[in-house]
Amino acid sequence: MSERPSAYPYVWRLPLLIWQGLFFVGPLVLMVAMSFWLVRNYRMEPDFILDNWDRMLGRGYFWDAYWVTVWRATLAAILASLIAFPASFALAFRVSETTRRWALFFLIVPFFTSYLVRIYAWQVLLAESGPINGVLGWVGLGPFTMLNSGFGAMVGYMTLVLPLVVILQTFSLANIDRNLIEAAWNLGANPRATLVRVIVPAAKIGLIVGCVFAFILSFGDFVSPFYLGGSKPPTLSILIIDTTKSGQQWPRAAVVAVMMIVTLFVVAFAAVGAAYGRRK
Amino acid sequence: MTTDDPLVRFDGVSKNYGDFQAVKGIDLTIGRGEFVAIMGPSGCGKTTTLRMLAGLETPSAGTITIDGNVMNDVPAHERDTPMVWQSLALFPFLNVKENVEFGLKMRGVEQSERHGRAMLWLERMGLKGFEKRRIDQLSGGQRQRVALARSLVTEPQMLLLDEPLSALDAHLVIRMQGVLTRLQKELGITFVYVTHSQSEAFAMADRVVIMGHGEIAQIGRPQEIFRAPKTRFVAEFVGRNNILPGEAPGQELVVAADRMTVSAEQPEGRAIAAEFVSEEFAGTGIICYFEGPDGAELKAQVTEAQLESLAPEPGKRFWLSWAPGAEHVMEAA
Repeated sequence: MSERPSAYPYVWRLPLLIWQGLFFVGPLVLMVAMSFWLVRNYRMEPDFILDNWDRMLGRGYFWDAYWVTVWRATLAAILASLIAFPASFALAFRVSETTRRWALFFLIVPFFTSYLVRIYAWQVLLAESGPINGVLGWVGLGPFTMLNSGFGAMVGYMTLVLPLVVILQTFSLANIDRNLIEAAWNLGANPRATLVRVIVPAAKIGLIVGCVFAFILSFGDFVSPFYLGGSKPPTLSILIIDTTKSGQQWPRAAVVAVMMIVTLFVVAFAAVGAAYGRRK
Repeated sequence: MTTDDPLVRFDGVSKNYGDFQAVKGIDLTIGRGEFVAIMGPSGCGKTTTLRMLAGLETPSAGTITIDGNVMNDVPAHERDTPMVWQSLALFPFLNVKENVEFGLKMRGVEQSERHGRAMLWLERMGLKGFEKRRIDQLSGGQRQRVALARSLVTEPQMLLLDEPLSALDAHLVIRMQGVLTRLQKELGITFVYVTHSQSEAFAMADRVVIMGHGEIAQIGRPQEIFRAPKTRFVAEFVGRNNILPGEAPGQELVVAADRMTVSAEQPEGRAIAAEFVSEEFAGTGIICYFEGPDGAELKAQVTEAQLESLAPEPGKRFWLSWAPGAEHVMEAA
């Protein structure tokens, strides 16, 4: 009695499948395979050796870079979420619909200009003799070294992720059913308890998504740690560049890249679990 | 019952939103243990009135007193005025028991007592065994009862209800009306019930407040409102009656549909000739619709036996009359 399945739905899915296969699964498989290849006389040869994995994961500098990257991305995600929240809260609850629309438009504007250009601008602003130190010097502070430091990199990460985090948080906060907030007041929750017990749990998914996006973007970013962070200590993306430049070590760079992807998968799954968790 | 020691007093309370005046200087007292329904068409100010009582809106003028205290500047979370929303506003991220415990938790009641009181109310509302359920795993009627338990668990002296039954299926509405009236009698607390449904208001309330255009049009017991509507607005809103020209110019009478007699022959005294239009079965009787002089719609409630003997057909001519004293003279608009 089984019906022959119609080919129609499959035809519609085909473009997406081809795209995903060609530009995601294919390169991923190739990269994983490449991590087992051999480099001889600056040329790669397909092989199956564990030497690349052994060398990279056996080295202290890989793990130094790994934990620096994880730590910075975590800090950037938390910092961005905290900095963004008051702004998102104001946009969601304190301003008119029109103001909110304009604000969201202006939050998209930064994406019009190249990220690299914005980072160059920060190089000027944060320089030892730059305008920020100039103003601080005027009130008798500094000069501070802000470039080529963890602080500089963090400024870059915020430039990259803050607009997106504010947008995601604002949407999730603005979509909370207002009756839930009123119900909380009505049941005796003061403004703080309402925020902690109702607003944050109700917007949890959007807040976590914003936080995870900040982590993912900062984790893989090369520009900020390089141009503002001074590449010391190197992050994983800087490590990839260094590795490919030194003796065509693409297989070892592939090891780093695979480790990054695995990490992001773990973080993304953990986040989805946290966002939709406790729903038995 | 209402005026000696009222629980709630509205004195000249208004609410403006910019140029729009949602509530226009209303005076209202609500007694302890009274079931008051505030009824009116949408936009009449009934929900705004309720929200001011809960502290979710601030009056633009006038004072609201609860239990002798002026409440105008008391924030919502410091009032003891739990409310049941039309959407119920249950917290989707908390389970049934956590929802019921919320108000106790906010008042700093410790966990063991919270648990005990929440379980008691869940049992009372027939929700035993559901305490760990998620809200979206409940039926409409069960959610309704969770919302009631959540509001009543703190033992308030007053419960506010904002069209709580309008999202339910018809058969559940009747059942919940029974649940609500029984609860109100058992607890002996004040219920303030906002609705646009006169059947809900008349079935449950001790007193009905009819609002229109931000003003109170009439306050009275359901029978009073039904038999003796003060104005044409009230009469039309209540329905199931006939609005007829009175003897004096500009004067209007109202005769309830169940006080109207239908006869095939012209009776003695005042009677109106009308053509039968249609009939509608209404549970306790049958409402017959007629077209009177000038195209006015007239209604009369008859029994099944009467309907059979009248054998009406559309266009057939009848006489509508009423016993002396059955009519009520309304105030001129």
